[in-house]
Amino acid sequence: MTAKTNQKIAFCVFRILGMLVVGLLFWILGFIIYNGIGVISWEFLTGYPTAGMTSGGILPAIVGTLCLIAGSSIIAFPLGILSAIYSSEYAGNGKMVQFIRVMTNNLGGVPSIIFGLFGMALFVNTLGFGDSIIAGSLTLGLLTLPLIIRTTEEALKAIPDSFRTAGLALGATKLQTINRVVLPMAFPNIITGLILSIGRVSGETAPILFTVAAYFLPKLPTGIFDQVMALPYHLYVIATSGTDLEASRPMAYGTALVLIIIVLLMNLLATALRRWFSKKVKTH
Amino acid sequence: MKNFIITALFFLATISAAQAQRIKGSDTVLPLSQKEAENYMKDNSSATIIVTGGGSGVGISALLAGTTDIAQSSRKIKFDEKKKLQEAGKTVKEIIIAYDALAVVVHPSNKVQNLTREQLEGIFTGKITNWKELGGDELEIVPYSRETSSGTYEFFKESVLKNKNYKNGIMSMPATGAIIQSVSQTKGAIGYVGLAYLNKNVKAIHVSYDKGKTFVEPSVTNAKMKTYPIVRPLYYYYLTKDEKAVRSFVDYVLSVNGQKTVQEIGFIAL
Amino acid sequence: MKLIKRCIERIVETILTAGGMITSVIILLIVIFLFKEGFGLFNSPSVEKGYSLCVNTENPIEKLNPFQIKEIFDYEIDNWKNVGGNDEEIILFRFEELFYRYSDEELGENDEFLSQKLGEIIRATPGIIAYLPTEYLSSDCSGIKVLPEAKISVGDFFGRKEWIPTAIPAPQFGVLPLILGTLWVSIFAIAIALPLGLGVAIYLSELAGEKMRKILKPTIELLAGIPSVVYGFFGLVVLVPLIQKLFHLPVGETAFAGSLILAIMALPTIITVAEDAMQNTPRAMREAGLALGANHWQTIYKVIIPYSVSGISAAVVLGIGRAIGETMAVLMVTGNAAVIPHTIFEPVRTIPATIAAELGEAPSGGAHYQALFMLGCILFLMTILISIAAEVISKNHPQRKGI
Repeated sequence: MTAKTNQKIAFCVFRILGMLVVGLLFWILGFIIYNGIGVISWEFLTGYPTAGMTSGGILPAIVGTLCLIAGSSIIAFPLGILSAIYSSEYAGNGKMVQFIRVMTNNLGGVPSIIFGLFGMALFVNTLGFGDSIIAGSLTLGLLTLPLIIRTTEEALKAIPDSFRTAGLALGATKLQTINRVVLPMAFPNIITGLILSIGRVSGETAPILFTVAAYFLPKLPTGIFDQVMALPYHLYVIATSGTDLEASRPMAYGTALVLIIIVLLMNLLATALRRWFSKKVKTH
Repeated sequence: MKNFIITALFFLATISAAQAQRIKGSDTVLPLSQKEAENYMKDNSSATIIVTGGGSGVGISALLAGTTDIAQSSRKIKFDEKKKLQEAGKTVKEIIIAYDALAVVVHPSNKVQNLTREQLEGIFTGKITNWKELGGDELEIVPYSRETSSGTYEFFKESVLKNKNYKNGIMSMPATGAIIQSVSQTKGAIGYVGLAYLNKNVKAIHVSYDKGKTFVEPSVTNAKMKTYPIVRPLYYYYLTKDEKAVRSFVDYVLSVNGQKTVQEIGFIAL
Repeated sequence: MKLIKRCIERIVETILTAGGMITSVIILLIVIFLFKEGFGLFNSPSVEKGYSLCVNTENPIEKLNPFQIKEIFDYEIDNWKNVGGNDEEIILFRFEELFYRYSDEELGENDEFLSQKLGEIIRATPGIIAYLPTEYLSSDCSGIKVLPEAKISVGDFFGRKEWIPTAIPAPQFGVLPLILGTLWVSIFAIAIALPLGLGVAIYLSELAGEKMRKILKPTIELLAGIPSVVYGFFGLVVLVPLIQKLFHLPVGETAFAGSLILAIMALPTIITVAEDAMQNTPRAMREAGLALGANHWQTIYKVIIPYSVSGISAAVVLGIGRAIGETMAVLMVTGNAAVIPHTIFEPVRTIPATIAAELGEAPSGGAHYQALFMLGCILFLMTILISIAAEVISKNHPQRKGI
């Protein structure tokens, strides 16, 4: 065999592999969309589950997931951004910052079920929040911290040092430079990271199993100590329990589709914002 | 600003504390409580009822911890659970809300129709491993069980296995629905489910508790006549001091309408 | 004015420093809470708290290990000589049986005759082993021997093969099948995902046109964003029946189904990291390869892959890390049977799935609860090791060695 035929065969294999993986993605997406699209209607999105969760809608689960997104964002955004500013602007390049970076990476690798265990032990039991939005939001917030820190740090690093020195040279303090120059410039990329973290929060099941999720709660939450239903947990529940699984299958497909749409929208939004902002920065 | 947030938090917290009844516990009772709550709230729009699963044990320990108002259970409260509640100065009230029969199910293509308790014990403890030994095809038996501490798991262990442990490494499904799903897909499968979960995709086995003299089909009538042996009551537990708050809902469940729902779900009315 | 400004600056700096430490603090907290609950396990009695096992004084048996207790109460061992005693049949007595033998009147209104009756039964039956609440041990202990309370041992926890956490009277916490099940599923997942991922990474980085790349890369990143419960649902309704039919298996819920789902989920990580590593190969190295007369493919596998091997290994390690910790998808498709798997077509039970399925039902503070936290600790240590390994591997980059 010549090197040339070798190359031909190898490249052919790689092309097929590439197509295969993309095909796989479209198969999964297509399967959910195909089965779920017929279920989605105005009633499905704004109604309450009825008839033993085999019909009706999923409004409480949607609202619950939105609550968790909001709650975890309030907790994780400021903390994550602060942490990133510290390690990229203040900490220099010493042992300390390396240690922090290793810890952030480690935390990023901790499985979500561990966060669930931890959230249950600390927020639900020790601090006595019970199963509640606040316990779930705190758990999810901690879970997304590493992602937020990493993306924010990258955004800050992308700002050339000349801007910082220019700011300082004009007599501004370090804080002012960061506040007026660095942060606004890094803003688009920071936002992208935040949106990605929202996508992650909306899909996580394991951390909310023991901290917030309710099986059936057909009222919207009124306070942060309420339990809520959540989309991923709802999907898990109707996919595996209930007296008539076949009757609840359409609900499951519909829920899966809504969940995917939310996650994909977040991803698209992140990409779109990044494009839009980067154009804006260039023209100025 | 900070003050505002704190007041807002407290405000929200106080609203949420008002008038929500929490039901927690057995996954078996879950669909029943869910539907009862749904209907009850239709009639009483001011009431809020939260239904959560987790297992019978969870419900009762939540009662102790004060994180639920009603514990739904598919088994009687255990001696030491009662003891713990007593020590905490709490007394519980026990209400039987319905009966449930456990049906043993196999794949529809399975030729075996009748099994004795002893045979079932052999299957689930791992002594009998092939359908051939029971008069069926040459096919490996795949027993499916529920997760370890659900009330269903314990009741089946007590009633059918006579307190012996299930075979090591039995397939355990997170929910009853999943057992139905798996049994309907797996030729050699056998599993146990509440009567309410029976459907045409699985075949229910006729069971004998008298060493094979009579085999009884699991059905609502047979369970009501007490001829079908694997029947258990389903309970609500609540603290006597909460009686006022929860009584209205419990009464509704026990009422004619409530019991109609019991039957619709597939349980046996009182 | 200047002073105030400086003050604010200081305060902000302090806050930022505190913020910088946040991840370290969380890790510390996780370690504290997980290990505090987890290590409590080895202080728990091997028989349920508050209960004792008693035998007749004539019985020479001094102690039983948890496994023997389980076998006895499963009627597997029915003679005392099998556990080192006399040749005498074992008679089991569970506390609840008392209520079948005696009416409520006989036991007294407030159970005051309860311990007396228990004593009578035990004294009258030489071959008995009784399982009862310690507080009802009769004050008059003659004729009753209480077996010494043993602690759950570390050796049993890591060495035994039975995971029956709710067995009465002695729960069996053998985590070996769970640890092996987790590794088994994860390693097979990587074995499936690595060649696929590497192939796609090569295609993306070397073969695909700029336009194709611009479309494909974000699409693949989208794959990473789909929630695991959706993958699990897909696996449950599509893959499990498919695998069963395709391979003519008795059951479809197998380690293979889990590995396949995990492989799909780990693919984006592997592709992205490996592709980045290949893209980072300096142009000079490629051109050197081509200039030496190698064709494109030879350059790829003789130059680019060896050069980016550390990046690829990091991708593999990260992929394993993600697979090991994945919970929901695995819980839904692997059958959750706690046996040590011998082939890939058997059901397995992984650590995360065990925690998710059992934690809700384990009474808070009990041995089962602690055992699940201990599993959490094991999982945590596994993933931390993996993170560190990934760190070390990616630091070990040839560029830094001065090539």
